[in-house]
Amino acid sequence: MSYTPGTAAAAENGCGFDPSQAAALLEQATGQARRTFMPFGPPLLWAFRAVIGLVACGGCWLSVRGQQPYSGPGGWALTVAFVLVAVNIGWTAWVIRRGGWGVSGPAQRAKRAWIGATVVALAAAYAAMAPLYHSRTSHPVWGLYPASAPWLIVGLIGAAVATARRDGLRAGTCLAIALVAAAAGFGGPAGAWLIMGIGLGAVALGIAGFIARQQRRSAVWS
Amino acid sequence: MTADELDPLIHVPTRLRIVATLAALPDGDTLSFTRLQDMLELTPGNLIIQLRKLEEAGYLASEKTRNGSTQKTTVALTSQGRAALGAYTRALRNLLGGLDGNGRPAEDGRDQVAR
Repeated sequence: MSYTPGTAAAAENGCGFDPSQAAALLEQATGQARRTFMPFGPPLLWAFRAVIGLVACGGCWLSVRGQQPYSGPGGWALTVAFVLVAVNIGWTAWVIRRGGWGVSGPAQRAKRAWIGATVVALAAAYAAMAPLYHSRTSHPVWGLYPASAPWLIVGLIGAAVATARRDGLRAGTCLAIALVAAAAGFGGPAGAWLIMGIGLGAVALGIAGFIARQQRRSAVWS
Repeated sequence: MTADELDPLIHVPTRLRIVATLAALPDGDTLSFTRLQDMLELTPGNLIIQLRKLEEAGYLASEKTRNGSTQKTTVALTSQGRAALGAYTRALRNLLGGLDGNGRPAEDGRDQVAR
């Protein structure tokens, strides 16, 4: 049963507003609010991030597969990855602005601080590639580093911070990413990209499913 | 238990929507008046009246801040308001779980909401 504004007019003072109508309205209003505020973004965005993980890392894997000696992902693979990441950044910024419009308080500040810290940490971890490049690091290290090391570092730090703040979903996400990155370390310079792609895709799809289930959770019966 | 035992302050469509919307925010966060009005598609006058009733009952806290020539009003559910919504939801569950549409004991109250 869905609630319609017509019934609201008749029941504005609570008269004739029966419990089943109230339950339907409570479900409707709670569902709408959950979808609007979306602390972790919509499931569709996470599904898109799963595609990014698979396509970007998969593309890098295809371009480095069979390279002797290893020389890193090809230009086309990096272009595809950067375009997808740019779309993700744009979509994420739009979701944050839309969900956060008119909302203020400690949870909002903590969310912004978390996003800022994650971006800075990932950028710093990738910036560390510059000295590696200039120190003429061996090809296996050069191949493994960009695929897994930044995600391992950021994942572990993020998991520790989120656990301290008793933020279960973020802690679980960061830990899963760190585990995927650790596993990718065993895949070799080329295999690391494939493991990261499948792993990040699976983590993002898992989060998409979790958020979708949370949004559908009954406000009355759960 | 009867429908009369549902909290009369919350058991009004507009106020139930306000309380349910604010309850979806994390504890401590506030929502601006304009955003709430936009989400619920209410006139400013109607929203003010309903917010005042909830605030007088201690279910809601509002704050006015002035930034230059513009004034911003933010609202948030108090812990008392969250507790009241929790009690209202439990009462609703008991009512729907215990009775069918004809006032007879129901096998599963969820069916009524789904219909």
